[in-house]
Amino acid sequence: MASRSRATPKKEKSAASRPLKLPTVTETATSSGLQVLAAERGPLPLVSMRLVLRAGSSTDPKDKQGLADFTVRLLRRGTAKLRADEIDEAIEFVGASVAGGVSEDLMSIYVTTPAEHFGAMLSVLGQLVREPSFPEKEVVRARDRALAQFANDLDDPSTVADRAFTRALWGEHPYGHDVGGSASHVRTFTREDVVRFHRERLGPKGALLVVVGAVKPEVVAAEAEKAFAGWSRTDQLEPTPAPAVEGVAQAGRILIVDKPDQTQSQVRIGGPGYRLGHPDYFSATAMNIVLGGGFTSRLVNEIRVERGLSYGVGSYFDAMHAGGAFAISTFTKTASTREIIDVALGEVAKVRKGGVTPKELKSAQTYLAGLYPMRTETSDSVASILADIRVHGLGDDWVEKFRDRLRAVTPKQVKEASAKYLFPKPPAIVVLGKASEVQKQLKGLKLPISVVPVSEYE
Amino acid sequence: MPKAPPRPAAHKPDPALQSLLDVHEATLSNGLRVRLLPNPQTPVVSLYTFFQVGSRNERPGITGISHLFEHMMFNGAKKYGPKEFDRVLESNGGRSNAYTSNDMTVYYDDFSSDALETVLDLESDRMRSLRISDATLASERQVVMEERRVRVDNEITGILDEELGTLVYKAHPYRWPVIGWMADIENISRQDCEQYFRTYYAPNNAVLYLSGDIDPKKTLALIKRYYGDIPKGPKPLPVIDAEPPQKGERRAVIRHPAQSPSVMMGFRGPKATEQETQVLDVIQYALNKGEGSRLVKGLVYEQQIAISVMFDWGWRIDPGAIVFYLELKPEADPQKAEASLYAELEKVAREGLTERELQKAKNNLRADQLRELGTNTGRAHALGHYEALLGSWHELTLLPSRYASITNDQVKAVAAKFFAPDRRSVVTLLPEAEAESPSESSTAAA
Repeated sequence: MASRSRATPKKEKSAASRPLKLPTVTETATSSGLQVLAAERGPLPLVSMRLVLRAGSSTDPKDKQGLADFTVRLLRRGTAKLRADEIDEAIEFVGASVAGGVSEDLMSIYVTTPAEHFGAMLSVLGQLVREPSFPEKEVVRARDRALAQFANDLDDPSTVADRAFTRALWGEHPYGHDVGGSASHVRTFTREDVVRFHRERLGPKGALLVVVGAVKPEVVAAEAEKAFAGWSRTDQLEPTPAPAVEGVAQAGRILIVDKPDQTQSQVRIGGPGYRLGHPDYFSATAMNIVLGGGFTSRLVNEIRVERGLSYGVGSYFDAMHAGGAFAISTFTKTASTREIIDVALGEVAKVRKGGVTPKELKSAQTYLAGLYPMRTETSDSVASILADIRVHGLGDDWVEKFRDRLRAVTPKQVKEASAKYLFPKPPAIVVLGKASEVQKQLKGLKLPISVVPVSEYE
Repeated sequence: MPKAPPRPAAHKPDPALQSLLDVHEATLSNGLRVRLLPNPQTPVVSLYTFFQVGSRNERPGITGISHLFEHMMFNGAKKYGPKEFDRVLESNGGRSNAYTSNDMTVYYDDFSSDALETVLDLESDRMRSLRISDATLASERQVVMEERRVRVDNEITGILDEELGTLVYKAHPYRWPVIGWMADIENISRQDCEQYFRTYYAPNNAVLYLSGDIDPKKTLALIKRYYGDIPKGPKPLPVIDAEPPQKGERRAVIRHPAQSPSVMMGFRGPKATEQETQVLDVIQYALNKGEGSRLVKGLVYEQQIAISVMFDWGWRIDPGAIVFYLELKPEADPQKAEASLYAELEKVAREGLTERELQKAKNNLRADQLRELGTNTGRAHALGHYEALLGSWHELTLLPSRYASITNDQVKAVAAKFFAPDRRSVVTLLPEAEAESPSESSTAAA
């Protein structure tokens, strides 16, 4: 048996230097103008698809917040040819799945299917998107259920805190409401609202279909043509991205959402970040790993390991098309609400002023670069990357160059990113908890405090 | 390790699953079992370490020690001291986490394949020579108390689930929550932890699973080098299942400041190794998987009696619980919702499923198995999960054939047996006006 020395000579190329490539992508378009990307990939006999549409929550009408999300859920509840139960049966009998989701910028529909049912599932997807019938009965039921869900969400501290935080960050900007909207808006939704949103926002202009898995590109092109031929673009409004965000709405203010039965406070702190595809991405990401991204980050060390104040704390950049946030999310027992905010802001200030050490940066780079290949492990994740590259203009060499770009980040760049993003101006602070105790603790921060009942966020 | 009972030889391995699972097996002289699954597709590796210990192995007074101990495994050993484990792992391109269940404690690392030897050094160090200090224990105890507050005390399903456990089980350790009672978490001592480590963290009570960009021969040599000298431990005491038979329905009511009532019910089920377990899997899929499943279609869409419905059937070493949860609307009548659910269950017992529903459930079980094996972490975890609960990871490849052979008569018989009213326990949460939170010390003393 060899000694325990680590100097075993390695003949093979190391994992870190082995090039990382996506499968070959074939690009076509249907006669109706839908862009299609196809990548063949094994070994599992499954196919993943996603259809991306420029119909995110930022395209919700001003007085109908949540309409995009409401619409995507109704696509499955009936089409020109199929009833809801027939759609469910077609998808679910073969072990496929279809799910819809809405972000601030995009509406996406995700399909996974056993490869032998690819053609049939793409056909179902085409029908759902092109010719949903939105039966009146289904609209009413979906609305009732959504309203009940809004009520029940008030019992979920972290959901309400996130909702309040979104509003505190973006205010009146189209990003300033939860993608699901709120009870007061959803209550007014009618079938006509949904039909109109579908007509104006769901069309081939700006749409992208990505197909990855055990299927030949020529089969993808042919089936896509069958499924999406005749998809009308005449009624579709020109997709317009959300306007650029300008700062954070409630900067320098504290919002306390009062829920008197809580034994724990949910805490969110945020300031401006950057938009998707911004050149600061790599330096800011490496910096954030050191500050609050990894499990050995400074925030985890000071808050969890050294003080036992929380089970979880993290900082993150949330990048969207028109802007983004840098934020901290954590929770602690009511009595230590002030302490956890002080410690978090203290750690942020240290990095803002002093940057990170070269050793910390090196570790963050190795960590991110070492795990990056996992993002190309499944057909689902490859489809997601391909869509992101195209929709957000990341460049076709994004995956191939990712690790090199990350490793090229210098301490000087990290210092610049820290000064720029780590709350150079006072952030917005949101606390959900027992206001009668929390407010006393936070007075000393000398920032304007407002207290609202939890029902404000139904 | 539970042994699978003898079964008829009719079941054949699924060829697609088998082709993904070219597993190399070994057992070291200290009893450590090793399963290696090479997969060169991406330059990453997942390592899972399964210890055959969970809250099932605890006793009153130290409930939650399995989970608290899982946290302590990250707090320093002889070679790599406090804070070093994650620091060394991350700086070499890896990440780590762990979870504790009623039956097992599972640690996992995902890492760049370059870091293999470093990871084996880190993992074997803590298995060989964990160091527990009073200071790290004191701090970790606070972290776990925060975890309990977020997962149980301030979370409705957490509150219901905890109450349900004490109703379904009178004698078995499944009675208490995996995270433990607050007062026990506060009082577990360093000596308790050290005793626990010696008993349950010996190599003969563990199995390693590696899936990814590895060479099996070289990897096994490295594992022998790093783990080979860890001494074998005593055989852990068997857990006695002293649960008495249930002689009628059990009920409890929780009053809590909430917007809506809700109901959680548990039926006493079989052990993972019993054939009825897989019949219940089929029933679970037919009733609750997808928008077109019976309960979602019936209770959520048609009767509109629930906002959501959950049917949870988690396999356990000893007889587990089949759990349902109904999320209701603010004005809903929980008794009516309960009755609607029971009517659906009785219908299955009386009429079974349609042939189409039966086939659909089987198709979905197989598709989900394939999806589970799509990543290294999924493969390594699946091998460990099936070995821990069914006695051998090979059972994984036989499952599609086992599911395929399930008949409607079996479905009816299993539904009639396990959904009988006398086997159920029901917890109803009724909303009460928003009240100030009581101080925790009074909760703990209660």
